[in-house]
Amino acid sequence: MAKIEFRNVVKRFGDVEVIPDMNLVIEDGEFVALLGPSGCGKSTSLFMLAGIYLPSGGELLFDGHVVNEVEARDRNVGIVFQSYALYPHMSVRDNILFPLRFKKTPRDEALARVKAAADLVRVEELLDRRPSELSGGQQQRVALARALVKEPKLLLLDEPLSNLDASLRLSMRTEIKSLHAQLGVTTVLVTHDQIEATTMADRIICMRAGRIEQVGTPDDLYLKPSSLFVASFIGSPPINLIAGEADGGTVSVNDVRFPVDGASGSVTVGLRPEHLRFSNTGFAGRIAQIEPMGREILYVVETGMGAVRVLEQGSAAGHSTGEEVRIGFQPENSLVFATKGQKLIAGAHVRAPI
Amino acid sequence: MAAQAIPMVSTASEQAVDWDALAARARVARRTKAVVLYAFLIAVSLPIILPYFWLVTIAFSAKTGVADTAVLWRSMAVVIPAVVAFWLTAALAQSRRQLWIGLAAVAAIAVVAFALLVGPDLHLGNFIFLWEPDFASVVRSRIGEVKGAVQFPNVWHAFGNSILIAGAQTTIVVTVASLAAYYLSRFQFPGRSSMLRSLLVLHAFPVLTLIVPMFLMLYWIGLLDTLSGVIIVLVAFELPFAIFIMKGFFDAVPWDIEMSALTDGASRRQAFVSVVLPQVRNGILAIAVFTFIRGWEEYIFVFTFLIRNSNWTMSLYMYWVRDDVMGVDYGVVSAVGVFYLVPSLILYMAAQRYLMQMSIGGVKG
Ligand SMILES: Nc1ncnc2c1ncn2[C@@H]1O[C@H](COP(=O)(O)OP(=O)(O)OP(=O)(O)O)[C@@H](O)[C@H]1O
Ligand SMILES: [Mg+2]
Repeated sequence: MAKIEFRNVVKRFGDVEVIPDMNLVIEDGEFVALLGPSGCGKSTSLFMLAGIYLPSGGELLFDGHVVNEVEARDRNVGIVFQSYALYPHMSVRDNILFPLRFKKTPRDEALARVKAAADLVRVEELLDRRPSELSGGQQQRVALARALVKEPKLLLLDEPLSNLDASLRLSMRTEIKSLHAQLGVTTVLVTHDQIEATTMADRIICMRAGRIEQVGTPDDLYLKPSSLFVASFIGSPPINLIAGEADGGTVSVNDVRFPVDGASGSVTVGLRPEHLRFSNTGFAGRIAQIEPMGREILYVVETGMGAVRVLEQGSAAGHSTGEEVRIGFQPENSLVFATKGQKLIAGAHVRAPI
Repeated sequence: MAAQAIPMVSTASEQAVDWDALAARARVARRTKAVVLYAFLIAVSLPIILPYFWLVTIAFSAKTGVADTAVLWRSMAVVIPAVVAFWLTAALAQSRRQLWIGLAAVAAIAVVAFALLVGPDLHLGNFIFLWEPDFASVVRSRIGEVKGAVQFPNVWHAFGNSILIAGAQTTIVVTVASLAAYYLSRFQFPGRSSMLRSLLVLHAFPVLTLIVPMFLMLYWIGLLDTLSGVIIVLVAFELPFAIFIMKGFFDAVPWDIEMSALTDGASRRQAFVSVVLPQVRNGILAIAVFTFIRGWEEYIFVFTFLIRNSNWTMSLYMYWVRDDVMGVDYGVVSAVGVFYLVPSLILYMAAQRYLMQMSIGGVKG
C-alpha cells in the first residue's frame, strides 16, 4: 500500500510537452480514476507511475520517497494493460507465475500464490490454457491475477474494460470494485468512459491535454464541474450548452430570463437533460427525435438555440415527433460558465437530481 | 470518392434471365481454370524434379567407364507418369481421404515400377569416396590410367569444414542480427532511418564486385587461406539482410508485453530473453536455415580465399572431383553431389513446418 504524490511532474517526448505540470496526491488505499479524452496523457501518467517512462521534470513520490529514478522492477507495481499484454507463449499458470520468478519465491509458495490469485479472479480452471484460447473477459481476469499475485503496493489499470462487451463490462466493474474493497490496494484506473469512472472510483481526476481540470468525488464533478470541459465530459446523455447573456444577477437566453448569483457578461448556460421538463413556459421548440432508453425517454428538441436534449421519466412516449413544446427548468439546476475562460461562475447551489 | 447513385431503369419488357445458361457458363469457366492450373503445375514440376531424380539415379547406377543412358530413359518412364498421376489425383480427389489413398496408390505403383525397371542396375559402388580417400586413383586404375590423380583430402574432412563454416556463420549471424534488429526496432537514435536504408542498399550490391579488395584485406590481416577469414566475409555479407528481416519480426512484437515484463520484475535482458525472443522464434529459425544453407553452398569465396586442400569445403571437393574424375566416372561425381545435397535436404525438411508459417512482420523505418 502506498501514498502517491506527483510534484510538478513534467513529461516531454522530444519537443512535445505531453504533461506540462502535474500535481496530485493519491491517498493510501484510495481508488482513483484518471478520466479524460483520448490522447490527454492518461497512459503517460500511468507509465511514469509504473517506472516505464522517466519523468522529464518534477518529483514522483511513493510514501514520501522520491522514486523518479527507481527502476520499474523495483517499484512493486501491478499493471493491467489495455491490451492485457499476456505472454502468448506461456500458459495461464506461467503468466501468473512470471512476476514471482524474479522474486526468488520458493516454488511451492509461488504455486500456492498463483492458485490464490487465480481463485480471486475465478480463472482456476483455465490455468493450463494459452492466452489465445481465452475470451476477452478471461484474458482480462488473468491479467488482473498476474498484476495481483506479487501483492503490489500500487495497482494500475489502463482502460481494463474497453475491450469487453457491454454486459461483461458491467460485471467486471463490480468485480474490480469489490476486489479493491477486499484487498485495499491503492488503485489508479485509467479510462475515457465517464460512467466507468463515476461508478468505480472514490475520486476522479479529470484531465485535459496533459493538465488536471478537476479533482473530486463523482458527485463533485457532476454537480459542481469547475469548467465547461468537465461539465460536458461528465453525464450521460451529455449536458446541454446554451449561449446567453448575464447582467447583474439575471441571465437571459433568448426570451427566457432567470436569476443567478453574481454573473455578468457573455455566458454559457449548462442544463443537464434530466433537469429539463416539458412545461407551459420556457424555451419553445419542436420535437425532432424520440429515443426510448428503457426507463427513460430522450427527446431531441429543435429550438432557436439549437438542439436541446430532454430526458423524461416513464417508458412510454407521451409526445410525438413534430409536436410544438416548451421546455422549463429550475434556475438552481443551471450551471453558468463564463464564455471567456469557460470556468464555472454561478449556479453553485444546484441540488442533486431527483 | 464520390459515389454516384445509378438510376434504376425499369423497362416494361424486362428480359427473362436464363439461370441454367449462366450456371453452365460458370461451370465451364471453373473447369477450364482447373485444367490450366494443373497443366501449369505439371509443366513446372517436371523440369524441377527431373534433374534431381537423374542425379540420384546416376549416383546409384552408373558404372566406371560405361556411358549407359538406357537406365535413365527407363527411370524417366517411371517418373513422368508418376508426376502426372500425382497432379491428376490432386485435381480429381473429392475428399482428403480419397487424396491420401490416391497418392499412396500412385506412390506404390511408382515404387514397384521403379524396382522392376531400374532396380537391377542399382549399386553403392559410386560412394567409394566415403571410405577410400584415394578413390581417384582407384577409379582411374579401373580403366588403366595410373598417374595424375589429384590428392583428395578425406571427404569427411571437407564435410567437417563445410559444417564448421556454415555453423559458425549461422551462429554469428543469428546472434548479431537478433541483437542489432532488436535495437533498431526499439530504440530511437540519430541516424536510425539512414542506417535502415543503408542495410538494404548494402544487400543490393553484387558481392562479387568486392572479391579483389576482400582478398587483399584478408591477406593483410593474415586470414587468407583460413576458415575464419571466410566465415568473417560470409557473415559480413549475410548480416544486413538478416538484420532487416529480424527487425520486421521485432516490430511485430507489441511493446506492452515488454513493459509488462519490466513491471513484473524482469531486467531488460531478462525481458528480452524470456518474453521477446520466444515471439520471434520463427524469424530466428528462418534466418538460421537460410544462412546455414547459404554457407553450405558457398563456392565463390571459398574458391578464392581457401587454397590448401585441408581447408577444402564440400563445394571445393565437389569442384575438384568434377574436374578430375568427370571424364572417367560421372557416377562418382553424382554420388558426391547426392552426398553434398543430403544435409540441406534434411535441414529443409526439419524446418519446413516453421518456414511455411513464417510471415515476415511489417517492415517500417
Ligand atoms: N512515445 C511517445 N512519443 C511521442 N509522443 C507520445 C508517446 N507516447 C505518447 N505520446 C503522445 O502523448 C500524448 C498522450 O498520450 P497517452 O498515451 O498518454 O494518451 P492517453 O490519454 O492514454 O490516450 P488514450 O485514451 O488514447 O489511450 C498523445 O498526444 C501521444 O501522441
Ligand atoms: Mg492510453
